[in-house]
Amino acid sequence: MTESQMDIPLEPSPKIPQLSADEIESPPLTLATLTWRRFRRHKMAIFGVISLVLIVLYAYGGSFFVSEKYANHNDTKIILQYPSAKHPFGTDTIGRDILARTIYGGQISVLIGLTAAILEVVIGVLFGALSGYFGGLIDALLMRFTEAILTIPTIFLLLVMAKYFGGKIPNITFLGRTYSGSVVVIIVIIGLTSWPYLARIVRAEFLSLKENEFVLAARATGTPTWQIIFRHILPNSIAPIVVAATLGVANAITLEAYISFLGLGVRAPTATWGNLLQGAYSYIDKGAYWLWLFPGLLIVLIVLSINFLGDGLRDALDPRSRTV
Amino acid sequence: MKTQLYKFLILFTVVALVLSACAQKEKATSTSAPVAPKVTDTLAPKPTEKPTEKPAAGQPTNTSVPPTNTPVPPTATAVPPTPTEAAPAAPKVATFIWTQEFDTLNPLYTNMWFSSITLQLWNCYAWTFDDMNNPVPVLVKEMPSADNGGISADGKTITLKLREDLVWSDGTPLTSEDFMFTYEMTMNISNTVSTQHPYELIEKVETPDKYTVVTTFKDPYAPWMGTLWHGLIPAHILKPVFEEKGNLNEAEWNHKPEVGCGPFVFKEWESGSFARFVANDKYWLGKPKLDEIFMRFVPDDASQIAALTNGEGDLGTFIANSDVPGLEKSGVATLTVFSGYNEGLYFNLGEKGHPALKDQNVRQAIAYALDRASFDKDVLLGLTVPAATDWDNTPWVDPSIQPYPFDPEKAKALLDEAGWVDSNGDGTRDKDGVELVLKYGTTTRAVRKDFQAVAQQQLAEVGIKVDLLNYESDLYFAGYAENGPAARGDLDMFEYSSTANFPDPDVAEWLCAQIPSDAEPSGTNWMYLCDEHLDQLFKLQSTQVDFAARQKTFFEITKYIFDQAYWIGFWQDPDLWAVSKRLTNIKLSGATPFFNIMEWDLVNP
Amino acid sequence: MTRYIIRRLLQAIPLLFLISLVLFVLMQNVSDPLATLSGRTPTRKEDRERLTRQLGLDKPIIVQYLYWLIGNDWTKIDMNGDGVAETPGIRKGVLRGDFGTSMWNRGVPVTKVIAQRLPNTLLLMVVAELLIIIGSFIVGIYSALRQYSLVDNILTATSFIGYSMPIFFTALAAIYIFAVYFKRWGLPSLPTVGMFDPQEGKTTSQVLVHMILPVFSMAFISLASYSRYIRGTMLEAMSQDYVRTAKSKGLPRRQIIFVHALKNACLPIVTVIGLEIPFLLGGAVVTERIFAWPGMGRLFLDHLERGDTPVVMGILMMIAVAVVVFQLITDIAYAWLDPRIRYK
Repeated sequence: MTESQMDIPLEPSPKIPQLSADEIESPPLTLATLTWRRFRRHKMAIFGVISLVLIVLYAYGGSFFVSEKYANHNDTKIILQYPSAKHPFGTDTIGRDILARTIYGGQISVLIGLTAAILEVVIGVLFGALSGYFGGLIDALLMRFTEAILTIPTIFLLLVMAKYFGGKIPNITFLGRTYSGSVVVIIVIIGLTSWPYLARIVRAEFLSLKENEFVLAARATGTPTWQIIFRHILPNSIAPIVVAATLGVANAITLEAYISFLGLGVRAPTATWGNLLQGAYSYIDKGAYWLWLFPGLLIVLIVLSINFLGDGLRDALDPRSRTV
Repeated sequence: MKTQLYKFLILFTVVALVLSACAQKEKATSTSAPVAPKVTDTLAPKPTEKPTEKPAAGQPTNTSVPPTNTPVPPTATAVPPTPTEAAPAAPKVATFIWTQEFDTLNPLYTNMWFSSITLQLWNCYAWTFDDMNNPVPVLVKEMPSADNGGISADGKTITLKLREDLVWSDGTPLTSEDFMFTYEMTMNISNTVSTQHPYELIEKVETPDKYTVVTTFKDPYAPWMGTLWHGLIPAHILKPVFEEKGNLNEAEWNHKPEVGCGPFVFKEWESGSFARFVANDKYWLGKPKLDEIFMRFVPDDASQIAALTNGEGDLGTFIANSDVPGLEKSGVATLTVFSGYNEGLYFNLGEKGHPALKDQNVRQAIAYALDRASFDKDVLLGLTVPAATDWDNTPWVDPSIQPYPFDPEKAKALLDEAGWVDSNGDGTRDKDGVELVLKYGTTTRAVRKDFQAVAQQQLAEVGIKVDLLNYESDLYFAGYAENGPAARGDLDMFEYSSTANFPDPDVAEWLCAQIPSDAEPSGTNWMYLCDEHLDQLFKLQSTQVDFAARQKTFFEITKYIFDQAYWIGFWQDPDLWAVSKRLTNIKLSGATPFFNIMEWDLVNP
Repeated sequence: MTRYIIRRLLQAIPLLFLISLVLFVLMQNVSDPLATLSGRTPTRKEDRERLTRQLGLDKPIIVQYLYWLIGNDWTKIDMNGDGVAETPGIRKGVLRGDFGTSMWNRGVPVTKVIAQRLPNTLLLMVVAELLIIIGSFIVGIYSALRQYSLVDNILTATSFIGYSMPIFFTALAAIYIFAVYFKRWGLPSLPTVGMFDPQEGKTTSQVLVHMILPVFSMAFISLASYSRYIRGTMLEAMSQDYVRTAKSKGLPRRQIIFVHALKNACLPIVTVIGLEIPFLLGGAVVTERIFAWPGMGRLFLDHLERGDTPVVMGILMMIAVAVVVFQLITDIAYAWLDPRIRYK
């Protein structure tokens, strides 16, 4: 493209890019810009990003306005109060302000979602890359292991592991705040049960990519194997990984809500949106709707935003889409 | 395409509405009933009852209560709106809502409360306990005592004289052979029975004739009345099974006990859904007034409450305090029944426990620092009060004991006196370089988690930092060998609801011999407490067959435990039963809730 | 093809062993089945000792696994605690078809425990699955054909919201609207508990009515995600060259959609559905909990909470075998449907 631009004489208004005949179909843009342009057109994805940012701001920014001491402060004289000016989301069964609890709970939920997704991506990519690149015995072994995990229904595996690790890790004090050890447990078990899906996708990508010529060239010039895998092939298969990672966050938040609802998730005293729902279930009939409505809505909102975002990313990163 | 979609949606909605209209049968229970009077005081040793449910003892007609009446005075026989002498068109079926399904119906194999009390429906205890906790003979002619020769002079031999009109529901006579068979099967090593207590303490059982059972204990055993003969197994059905298979573990009778000896007979049990029991016309204490009892299994408390408020159930149990107002609003009455449970805190007094807890002053300080009365009033809706000892509401507790009051200043003073002061200004007391940080564990039940949060805050105010830990109940109660946190001494304070052998006060967990270790992993003394004085008192009481002497010993025991603050009571934990307006003549006992179930009756069936 | 099938089956065997071993070890540490024996207080010391011995829980994990796998009727166990093994065992082991007896419902064979609940689950899940398949095809095809129209946008938005909602939210919202509020407004309300009304008995109409809310809650979410998926594959199929050819040949629209495009769009769906069928056996844990449906999900949860290893292992192995079998069936079906795929 640079050669053809050099042939065109300088003309007035250089801001308007002059495209040669070849470039009309595919303008000279990097992957990131291309993705962004396509992404921008996706109204719902933009909406998803905005609401996601707002929710994260609510959870992390909110802690500047509401101290943790206030969030944990209980007063049995004001239990189960309707939402009011003083307590916009009402109070819970021992008089704690629910708004404050959702702020701090949101921090943990988002943390769990992100960390579990990262764990899942790291393991999944590792397994998938090694399996796809080397093939043969390594592929067979790793794939059998992956299948073993896929064979067991996720929720069953999660429940068994939650019970196995539950209560074994003591409370952690980090930066002056105490967290229940079960947060680590949940992150680990969600990460350990979600990676097979990504591993299979990455493996498929590697299987097709490794036959390409640039890999052959890299090998011919003596590039070490790990560089080929991580510097050459992996960046080309980034698209499904990014999408899977995004959706993985939503998945992790949902799974955390499920297990907490069943009582095996994050333990007290740490709050998450999921375990706020657990305590609220028995109050359905009593009309204390604010106990479950607000945490529930927040979960739906964040999962929805991430889903929009993921959908937009998937369309934007789709190599077969030829529009800008 | 568009029209097809719309047609489909409309059709779907119509079908759904039609189906639900067809199948719906709203029961005409009193959704507009007046608010039933609140449960009366819970401190009295007797379980309280609604005035409306006073039984019309012995009278054949039922006291039907029209829905718009105010509480009927005890002796009134209100004129029934419909003649009850006419042949009943529909059978009288009472529906019980159980939140747990039985694991098995064989009395020897189950420890589960829901299964054990169901035994009172279709199986027979030798005697039951009424609502005043007095024994009521069922299989025996009269209760054995020292006067009638039932208890020997040395207290070791108990002789039972059986009634002569006992029959199993298939007509076979029930004799002492069934008692002997029950004993033998309990002690047989091939049977995986849930407990062999107290039969392991028996030296021998003899049956000199068909109607006499003589039990000889190795040592005088005071708690025999509360623990012996909780259910029998039919020899004529199960002996052949045992001879064929060598054990009773897989007998079909365990899940289909069609031959029983109770006021009702087992009819069917569909796993996960329901079980049915029909009236036994061969019952020697009289055929029950109800025709059938239907037990429905629901997965949790919320569905139980929903079923009760919708009028789909007549009886429910273990109602949470917070559900009571809602139930009363929909016309379901609540009965409070003491079964000996009290929720309280145990301390780890062993090597792995925090050193501060070995000091009586520290333990008392914790008691003074926790405002249990307010919690019980606010969160438990005043339906219970703090417990002073684990023997509250029984004749065994020293009546002069009052629970520690809420006095944070006194708590601080005691801690100062014990030498725990905040020398480094971090808000937590310390001594000799050790911070006063305690690990406080319990199960995941919501009300316990709530109390933990409140307790954490209140203890922080007197300078004690608390780490909260929660465990699933089967993990929490796991033994030493299975790394149960309390059993292993990993917690400093642990909370749960405990009882002695209600209605008997005997309990093993205070004995030195019950401390778990690698050599003895099954011990139940999770406090790792070895107090010689207490140990002696407990050993003494279990041999004292004379009530007065035993009571004196227990007064000493309860006072001592209270003064030492070995156990801090949070609230008395009675069983809350929910009873619909349709069921009458109900009396519930703490030990054997269904002792008078043949009297129960339905109005407006 | 036959060699491929045999090879797959042979490969599956070590997989199943691996799974069973890992799960068995996990189950051992999950909880203590003797903690309270479902009672309200911790088990007495003497009873705990006796039951540990009688149930074989004092043996090392590997030995327990071995007994589970091949039984213990070839060896003797010490039943009376004197340290000498004298009673011959009676278990035959999984490989001979004996899954053991439940530790919670002591004495009941595992197969019987599962068989009591399996039909209930199948009823619920199969009906839900059929509804999902049919519904998502209708919605997906419609959406694809009317891409970006108003209805499509509404459906898309609803789909997103639908599969962003956790199942219990949907279920609770459904209960609130169709049961609680309908009743308040005087409309006929739908039942929310159990499989049938005990007073009416287990009639077909009762079961059908009680199925409405649980099926609806489950179907709503899956329908949302599947219809999106079908929409995507249909769109892709419709943009292919052969469809353009068919259009230019003047074939009727209906034929193009259903005969040409749909058949090709179906293919990935077949895989997805085929892989999901074995998991239907596991029931839906949360849905069954909320609606008190007596199914496999609740069975699993109840027995897991009580540390009942034989039953939990039985359920998991049953599902594992079903997964292996159905994966094979799906792959074969895929090859049969798509002539471009060939297995060596």
